[in-house]
Amino acid sequence: MVGGLRAGLGDTGLSCAAIEARVERFVAMGTRIELHLFGGGDTDALAQARSAIEAVDDALTIHRPSPTTAINYCLAAGRSAPVEDPILLDALAAVAAAWAMTVGLFDPTVGGAGGETGGWPLVTFDRLAGRIEAARPLAFDFGGFGKGYALDCAADALLVGGATSAFLSAGESSIVVLGGHPLGGKWPLTIPHPFAPEETLVALELEDEALSISSTVGAGAQAPWRAPMVRPTDGAIVTAAATTVAVERSGAAAEAMSTALLVADEVAGRRLGGKVPGRRHLFLFADGSSVSRTSAGSIE
Amino acid sequence: MTRDFTFSRRTFLDRVLTASAGVGMAAAAPWAGVAQAEPTGSDRVRLGVIGTGDRGRALIQNILKTRNCAVAAICDPYAPHLDKARALVPAGTATFTDHRAMLDARGIDAVVVATPLDLHARHSLDALDAGLHVWCEKAMARTIKDCGAMITGARSRSKVLQIGHQRLFNPTYLNALKRAKAGEIGEITQVRASWHRNRNWRRPVPPGSNLDRELNWRLYRARSAGLMTELATHQLQVANWFMDGLPTRVMGSGSIAFWKDGREVYDHVALIYDYFDGRKTIYSSLLNNARYGCEEQIQGSKGTIEPELGRIYMETPPGSVPALARMRKDVQAGRKGAIPIGGATWFPELPVTTPGDSLGWGEYDETMLQFEGFGEAVRSGKELPGLLRQAYHASVASLLGEQAMDTQQAIAWPSDLIPV
Repeated sequence: MVGGLRAGLGDTGLSCAAIEARVERFVAMGTRIELHLFGGGDTDALAQARSAIEAVDDALTIHRPSPTTAINYCLAAGRSAPVEDPILLDALAAVAAAWAMTVGLFDPTVGGAGGETGGWPLVTFDRLAGRIEAARPLAFDFGGFGKGYALDCAADALLVGGATSAFLSAGESSIVVLGGHPLGGKWPLTIPHPFAPEETLVALELEDEALSISSTVGAGAQAPWRAPMVRPTDGAIVTAAATTVAVERSGAAAEAMSTALLVADEVAGRRLGGKVPGRRHLFLFADGSSVSRTSAGSIE
Repeated sequence: MTRDFTFSRRTFLDRVLTASAGVGMAAAAPWAGVAQAEPTGSDRVRLGVIGTGDRGRALIQNILKTRNCAVAAICDPYAPHLDKARALVPAGTATFTDHRAMLDARGIDAVVVATPLDLHARHSLDALDAGLHVWCEKAMARTIKDCGAMITGARSRSKVLQIGHQRLFNPTYLNALKRAKAGEIGEITQVRASWHRNRNWRRPVPPGSNLDRELNWRLYRARSAGLMTELATHQLQVANWFMDGLPTRVMGSGSIAFWKDGREVYDHVALIYDYFDGRKTIYSSLLNNARYGCEEQIQGSKGTIEPELGRIYMETPPGSVPALARMRKDVQAGRKGAIPIGGATWFPELPVTTPGDSLGWGEYDETMLQFEGFGEAVRSGKELPGLLRQAYHASVASLLGEQAMDTQQAIAWPSDLIPV
């Protein structure tokens, strides 16, 4: 097992009254969402959180008409586009920050005549003017980044609603926790080994943090519609068996970082780990059925 | 009439009324409320039935159950069919072997046409010329032009023309439409309809006779468009109804893939009907596999309606993530356990097998109700509103599908149809 739990497992012996969670389960962002609220929060806090996620879905989806498809139509045709939707504006600003943080290894642009990736450097995004354009035809697919961003918006809504302890999940690979565990301490999590789900790959604890897991192996990566991971800096398809885990302050940043780690080669992975001190990243190359090496920071 | 039947009829009519009363239903099914009303007058409308084959006799049995219609005459040139029909009607009912003789004999208020498809137009127009109202089996006619001629003929003579589409009177279908109009299954973007059978569709022909094209008229192109006009018409009507619009074009492929027995019509048809804004009806019919039977799957963003099964299925979110369910139980029990997360997020997309909810009801007399409605239309001289439009467009859709398959080209919806 890589890493380890620090504390808090087992029966706490607490004698407090049973803590009931309030729960919202629904489908959005192309996956199943679960919002578990344990502490604090107005009566409609969960509903507000759900609305926040659904609003992000409406703004960022490319599977039905949306503000994102509206700019995609223009950008794919080589034209500039107005960006009026406030959620899309915020998301694009978050993309800019994530691209910089990951040294260009996270890039949600796709398309172009040659199917090129890595288009963000060619994008001119003027947030104040509400306008975007690109030097070549391209389009946006926010993918997993959108899930993390949506969970961030839900967490914001819960905070505004007075929530103090909550666990938010989007498809099990994107997690945001608000506050600490309802029984005290941090939230203890274990991540299954991609080849042997009954075994633990890594254990870690979270508090007011976000977790993202990306992988080129395991059941999630075998979905028939799953596109290959492409390194945006050189267009190479990532074929190495790898699983990456990123813990960040926000869901969007965690998603960007886990994706960047996955497409990075080993050198770039080390650079990423060192670039954001204090954050926790795990970069696992898998060889056959066993994890062979860990680099680029560590999960404590 | 038995007390049980009286009760079931009243219950049935109440269900039609309930189903047809809803937001948007007055526009979507304006005939239903009219048809279920109590009949007016005491004299029964006298019907002459032309064509007493299997379908004609089924119609006779339904007419006999109505409160306002009577079978006053029957007509068929094929003696075995006429004999079977004679056994169903009261003794002394006039019988004919030639439809013109029946029309000339008078004594009827309207005709029921249940003859082979290629004869629908001629028999209907002859009846209209004789000053009679017409109820005609679907599909309307062998050609789109003849479908229009039947409408023009009825309009110019101020006579009622009604086409047999019993689903328009079926409480399950009406209830399904009501729930779709209420938005329960979200935006309907696709109808997937099929009518699959596993039989050769041939009727026995007396040995030594030359009656094959008479009895098996459905298998020959001069007389029928086969699966399209005899089966698909019903379901294309349902598709248009739930889509609340008409196709913009149709593409298709047809073949004789199994019953290579000299028939001329396809035994396999597969078509796509495009509607405004990218919506589609996907249709298939075949004659050598009955696994999927007859069904229309009305597919919306929030659910699916399958009216033949009488079920409505909601797009249910997937169940709870097991690890998170355990987390909640642990917290409730005062235990702080590790939360295993980040496992497989992909699950095979197998067909949903949840049972769904019932749309209600079971056995119906919708064909009977069609005739009660027709009887009232004949009495008033006014068609039941909306019916003919549905029927005309369903017949056009089926015949257009045949053209698309024959030409192997996408065929645009005609712009020169008769306004209905």
